[in-house]
Amino acid sequence: MALKQISSNKCFGGLQKVFEHDSVELNCKMKFAVYLPPKAETEKCPALYWLSGLTCTEQNFISKSGYHQAASEHGLVVIAPDTSPRGCNIKGEDESWDFGTGAGFYVDATEDPWKTNYRMYSYVTEELPQLINANFPVDPQRMSVFGHSMGGHGALICALKNPGKYKSVSAFAPICNPVLCPWGKKAFSGYLGTDQSKWKAYDATSLVKSYRGSQLDILIDQGKDDQFLLDGQLLPDDFIAACTEKKIPVVFRLQEGYDHSYYFIATFITDHIRHHAKYLNA
Amino acid sequence: MSFYTNRLGKFLKAKTDVEISAQPEFEDQTLDFSDVEQLMGSINTIPAPSAPVINPQAPNSATGSSVRVCWSLYSDDTVESYQLSYRPVQDSSPGKDQAAFTVTVKETYCSVTNLVPNTQYEFWVTAHNRAGPSPSSEHAVYMTAPSPPIIKTKEIRSCEEAVLICWESGNLNPVDSYTVELTQAESPEASGVTESVVGIPTCESLVQLQPGQSYIIYVRALNTGGPSVRSEPAAVHTIGLYFRLNKDTCHPWLIISEDGLTVVRSERRIPARELSSSDTRFTRCVAVMGNLIPVRGHHYWEVEVDEHLDYTVGVAFEDVTKQEDLGANCLSWCMRHTFASSRHKYEFLHNRTTPDIRITVPPKKIGILLDYENSKLSFFNVDLSQHLYTFSCQLHEFVYPCFSLENPGCLKVHNGISMPKHVTFY
Repeated sequence: MALKQISSNKCFGGLQKVFEHDSVELNCKMKFAVYLPPKAETEKCPALYWLSGLTCTEQNFISKSGYHQAASEHGLVVIAPDTSPRGCNIKGEDESWDFGTGAGFYVDATEDPWKTNYRMYSYVTEELPQLINANFPVDPQRMSVFGHSMGGHGALICALKNPGKYKSVSAFAPICNPVLCPWGKKAFSGYLGTDQSKWKAYDATSLVKSYRGSQLDILIDQGKDDQFLLDGQLLPDDFIAACTEKKIPVVFRLQEGYDHSYYFIATFITDHIRHHAKYLNA
Repeated sequence: MSFYTNRLGKFLKAKTDVEISAQPEFEDQTLDFSDVEQLMGSINTIPAPSAPVINPQAPNSATGSSVRVCWSLYSDDTVESYQLSYRPVQDSSPGKDQAAFTVTVKETYCSVTNLVPNTQYEFWVTAHNRAGPSPSSEHAVYMTAPSPPIIKTKEIRSCEEAVLICWESGNLNPVDSYTVELTQAESPEASGVTESVVGIPTCESLVQLQPGQSYIIYVRALNTGGPSVRSEPAAVHTIGLYFRLNKDTCHPWLIISEDGLTVVRSERRIPARELSSSDTRFTRCVAVMGNLIPVRGHHYWEVEVDEHLDYTVGVAFEDVTKQEDLGANCLSWCMRHTFASSRHKYEFLHNRTTPDIRITVPPKKIGILLDYENSKLSFFNVDLSQHLYTFSCQLHEFVYPCFSLENPGCLKVHNGISMPKHVTFY
């Protein structure tokens, strides 16, 4: 798979790069961001995948979150893909900001006209890691995942559906129970059809109830003043209750005064990077 | 024959008058020898000796029960023996002098035994010969060495870089100072170095050590007589932390185990209203503090808890108000667990405020990291290597572990644990 480098900037002794490639899963050109810490010059590093939320591209995280210093210090390669296929010219893909372009929901769509291109789940769990492992100094055995909002949902479901694949998982304001919130219902009915039993396979709260894998240690930060929390889009209580029942270790922190923005992410990103480094550098 | 016998016989029988009829004219030639006698007498009798000079006590020559007294004679006098007298130095109260002991020796030294440790004795010596005793020497004061101190092994507190030892003097009267001696435990008799800390004025000492080692520690007491023998040894390990729960701070409803590591709250005994306020002892909050070594750096310990118990664990300044709950003021930081209606609630309290945190798996063993350098206090679920919460706290003074039990149950402290790797990330 040919990679075309779009940009490269030195940052905290490492390099923040953006690449473009032809994606097989998504049948279009896709960009992704990769940060190579200083340590990557001499040895293979663990890989940490960041999944962004609604309306984001590969740019938001690398410009707004302030993650580079922690990634550099802990020696982690950080990969941030885009949030959906682009330029596929599918009718209706740009009609809403919370469905279609910029709103892939990290599922493999089964419904037309989405199923050809909207396969973000396979892209993130299969194609992208294989690409990264082949082209960058990463250790394929040491991988973790985290994300924000829709990306938080993405991180949780990737970890829960693939026990043992990720050493750790964390999330900022994740959509915890999409089958019950407006965003989730809209996205799943569009991508997966009306059979709600197919939705559960992409719902973190449902997946926890039947999780039978190796131990996870989940860190979740949630802004208390997050409008979407108040609107019932995120539903963390459902997820926490399910994890308590199934004895899945979670530390959930409700952060006073914080909202849904990258200002919130930037405040706690170092804690999350450290959480992952603990497992990736063990 | 008879002619001569008769005449002889008569002669022999005749009385002889020895008186001279006429006195001769003789001078009295009797010589007066008395001066000469005296002169001759003085040549044959030696004089009594002059006073010996008693030496001051040589340093380090005493033991706890004996001193070696020495003296000299600065003349050619003949001496047949010395008489050394001694008694304990009295207080300055006048009155009857205590009776003195005496020892007779031929040498100019004597090791006097059966003495009492850490005591001053007055010694004086006289020299003797046939003519009699010399005048007494000056009185010199000698002191026996002290008895060895007794290390309070149960109160030893240590961390990876230091140990705080305290001891009982072992002597009724004051000594001059103490010496702490330490060797690494692997080679106590071999040529391992013995490090000594000298001139310690009080019965405690904070000694810097290397991490990850085992040491044997002795203490000696010193006075002008010299050092005592070594105390009984104490062992110290610089792996993790060693401290015990402080019985003096313990709320009356709590019992501390013999090893100082477990605290139990059983049924109430003294009604709450009868407990009077105290500065050292918790009287409202059913809590106890631990005697952590007052040394900065990183300290890590673990507490085993029952997940159905309401408890609070954390740290507090020594002068934290003993009438308030832990975490209710700005002198304490702690994690509180409350179990109600089958739900586990966790709070991280300081100055009565807590962040809003939910923890899905209740910890059975809590790891606590106190980091003075970065001003942080962190809590972990040990079994899951899971980080729970970190306080940022201004630690201008030393803090001490604190524990409270809100209902009957027990908490057990674990010592001597090397910091696990996952904790080092915090």
